[in-house]
Amino acid sequence: MNQSQKKNHSLREPEIISERDIRLAILNILEDSEEAKRIAGDERDKTKAIINNLADGLIILNGENRVFLINPQAERLLRVRREEIEGEGLQSLDRYSSLKRLAGLLVSKKELFREELLLPEPKKLVLEVTTTTLPRREEKIVILRDISREKLIERMKTEFVSFAAHQLRAPLSEIKWALEMFLEGDLGKMTEEQQDFLEKTYQSNERMILLVNDLLDVTRIEEGRYLYKPTLADIKEITQSAIDLYKGGIQKKKIKFEFKKPKEKLPEVLVDLEKIKLVIDNLLSNAIKYTPDGGKVTVSISRGKKEIEFSIKDTGIGIPKDQKEKVFSKFFRGTNVLKTGVEGTGLGLFITKNIVEAHEGKIWFESEEGKGTTFFFTLPIPGNLTVGE
Amino acid sequence: MGKKILVVEDDKFLRELISRKLSGEGFEVLEAFDGEEGIKKIKAEKPALVLLDLILPGIDGFEVLLKIREDPNVAQTPVIILSNLGQREEVEKGLKLGAVDYLIKAHFTPGEIVEKIKNALK
Repeated sequence: MNQSQKKNHSLREPEIISERDIRLAILNILEDSEEAKRIAGDERDKTKAIINNLADGLIILNGENRVFLINPQAERLLRVRREEIEGEGLQSLDRYSSLKRLAGLLVSKKELFREELLLPEPKKLVLEVTTTTLPRREEKIVILRDISREKLIERMKTEFVSFAAHQLRAPLSEIKWALEMFLEGDLGKMTEEQQDFLEKTYQSNERMILLVNDLLDVTRIEEGRYLYKPTLADIKEITQSAIDLYKGGIQKKKIKFEFKKPKEKLPEVLVDLEKIKLVIDNLLSNAIKYTPDGGKVTVSISRGKKEIEFSIKDTGIGIPKDQKEKVFSKFFRGTNVLKTGVEGTGLGLFITKNIVEAHEGKIWFESEEGKGTTFFFTLPIPGNLTVGE
Repeated sequence: MGKKILVVEDDKFLRELISRKLSGEGFEVLEAFDGEEGIKKIKAEKPALVLLDLILPGIDGFEVLLKIREDPNVAQTPVIILSNLGQREEVEKGLKLGAVDYLIKAHFTPGEIVEKIKNALK
């Protein structure tokens, strides 16, 4: 600063500069640069302290993917020593299985956001990897967070729900059987009132059975063991048999029902039959449940280039605008639905979405509150059976 | 006396319920609380049909099925599996081992189970 001030000054008013002035100026410059150096040093120490004491692992890679910096947490998580890897290219560090896996993940995408990296050896670790690239210097910052504990808790929770649901099935079956025997008169005649109350108890128990079944489906989804032996099937037939099951409900509510399907034979799709039946059943059941008496439900199946598209349109109560994002999440039920008192577990669409996506299909919807909802899903046509369009 | 039905079921109340239903329908009911007793009674009593639970103490239902099939004296006995397990793997395994039907307890009422038994005995 002193220097530039002097310079400016001298430009405006040229004068003879004495030796003393020069000496002073130089001293000033030296003082400034000492100060700058001290500040820089402080900053460096501060940054170093932060990096070294971060709870997360941190690695900085330079433009050529060489390890420029690694903090103690990252050393611990990846089981490597700084001295042995600093300055080396990530690709040449294959001898460390952890770094090999990390390198594999890093090349898969330009930027990573909370991608999971599994390190099975020697103790199972799950890391969450996030990266950012500093554009000017092409340095890549890699952040590693140990989420092993969260994963373990998540698994324990799933196992607990699965266990509890399994345990609930036996007593629920007992209650169902006993109630049915009363209702059937196996254990003697009852009054009309007794019959009526037991009938309602039976229905409550049935709802509980459905809930337990849904919970078991959810735990199977979470455990990733859900789809079973896909077979080739005709979606038109599956849909028709699902519709047949709802004939009674459709008539009871005086719903105008239409099934639009192409005349020609559709290519078969590769599906887990039971699960796809469940998808169509869930969507049908929702459409009928949430459409008032005398409304309209239209099911359509059409053929796209690479997929079969299924849609179901209703004139039901619709999904409130502010809740659209949550529709496919676990236990979601629309606030407008809750007011109607229509029963449901809030798990159906979560299960449905997971099944469709496990088949590499897509699912989405359009809805307007008070007017109706249309749900769509697609299933890919296997192979390249797109000829004959 | 009606046809003999053997109920292999470890849950006492379920056994009681289904036995009551079956005897009400005119069947002669035999009960076994585990797989070992089940096999013994199948061989000794030669029931017309077996209602078989899968999760049993000791020898499970799948093993009971295998044992029945191995003995030519009782190999032809129709078996209906009545289980809490409802996964496709288990259903398929049961049917492959020769069960004539596979019923999930919570999805069938005693009345429907009787219908299935009558059909299997036709």
